[in-house]
Amino acid sequence: MNCETCQELIHDLIDGSISQTDEFTLNTHLKQCLDCDSVRQDLASIVGFCRTQRGQYEAPPNERALWLRIRNVVEAEIPGRAAATAEPRRSFIGRLMGHTWELSLPQLATSVVAIVLLVSLATVVALRRSSGYVTPVTQVAASNENDPVWQRQQQVISYWNQRVELNKVRWSPEMRATFDRNMKTIDEAVANAVEDLKRNPHDEVSEQMLNEALNDKLTLLQDFSDL
Amino acid sequence: MIKSPTVMKTGFLTWRPSIRAAVFAVGALLALMSPSSTVQAQQKLSKRYPVAKNVRIELKNVSGTIVVESWNKDEIRLSATIESKKAHVVPRQSDQSLVVDVMSDNRGMGDVGDINFKLQVPVNSSIDLETVRGNIYVSNINSGLVRAHVSSEGDIELTNIAASHVIAQNVIGNIFFDGEFSRGGTYEFKSNKGDITIRIPGNSDFRLVAASPARRIALNDFWNNNFKSQDGRRITGDVGDGRSSVSVTNFNGQITFMRK
Repeated sequence: MNCETCQELIHDLIDGSISQTDEFTLNTHLKQCLDCDSVRQDLASIVGFCRTQRGQYEAPPNERALWLRIRNVVEAEIPGRAAATAEPRRSFIGRLMGHTWELSLPQLATSVVAIVLLVSLATVVALRRSSGYVTPVTQVAASNENDPVWQRQQQVISYWNQRVELNKVRWSPEMRATFDRNMKTIDEAVANAVEDLKRNPHDEVSEQMLNEALNDKLTLLQDFSDL
Repeated sequence: MIKSPTVMKTGFLTWRPSIRAAVFAVGALLALMSPSSTVQAQQKLSKRYPVAKNVRIELKNVSGTIVVESWNKDEIRLSATIESKKAHVVPRQSDQSLVVDVMSDNRGMGDVGDINFKLQVPVNSSIDLETVRGNIYVSNINSGLVRAHVSSEGDIELTNIAASHVIAQNVIGNIFFDGEFSRGGTYEFKSNKGDITIRIPGNSDFRLVAASPARRIALNDFWNNNFKSQDGRRITGDVGDGRSSVSVTNFNGQITFMRK
């Protein structure tokens, strides 16, 4: 006999309607299974109490709610039944949202410290990235020509330079001379700023001049590549 | 044997009249063809566009001079001299703007030569001008924007300008601004190789950032002790209440402020 059949027969046993064969089998199981025997004792005491107190107690205001609460308590005390009657498995988010977030003081403090560290780290990374894109001279200021930002900028200039070289054949000699003259002027400005930055890597004026000269170079290349 | 000029002249005069006439005719034809070929290759364009006040004018040229001046009419008159026959100039008008984009209209055609523009516009027009090379002259404009951008070389002259946003930029060439700074306005002047001269009323109020690695910044009457100088290469500070923002950058030239 399994526990499920046993607990169904317990009701018949307490009601006195069980057959002799079932009663023998049930008793044999109850001697071997402490859980089922405990259920029998609980149920017998409830039924016995009800019989002795019949007509002497008032019904609760919400009888159905009471029974639901009782059933929940009983099911919670029986792991196997609770598992069998549990809700379908919820998703991670569902479980997370349904979780009660009651943290102890050390847990709370640790969480706050972790959040502060994460936010600080993210801010530093974002600032470094953005400053790299907006002011590529910072890398030049450090004379670090292996820096990826500097290299990327040089690649962009190289790309537009190639486009200009392809289109140059269509230009008049005057236009070619104009381009070469202006490119030379800008390159001199770039070279001067780079030299100044090598001497003084944190010189703001040289950084500004290098930035603007590089932007001018890019603009010149883009404008002439359209011709 | 070398003949003397006299002999040669005598020889020419002794030719038959019919041959002499033929030589004169050929010479005259050649003489006529040479200048007339230039005249015939040039195209001239002249159009008028009725517009409302506060119209925006955008002109993107490749090469040539651009002249913009105001007049007392609610219309734009566009005149252009086009050097090359193959060049296209297709002005496009919408409700609030007139756009002439020589760069796009002639993309991939190589060098289309000089196109010289003259625009007469209402005084309140916003002006946005670009050219790869050539001079830009703008005068007598009172509007929200005056922008003159020369990608390479060309002088920029902005005369009698009262605009809330002014941008003048070139690589090689002088920049001259004569006008006034509006409250809350922004003014940007930048050259790589050329002088920048700014002529404004003596009571102008503005916040200045002027940079010149060559240390050639002359504020003259506008200098005050509140200015901060970084080795004379960059000067920052307020004149008056600093109600407008002025940025001047010159890599290798003079920056001069003059009082009107």
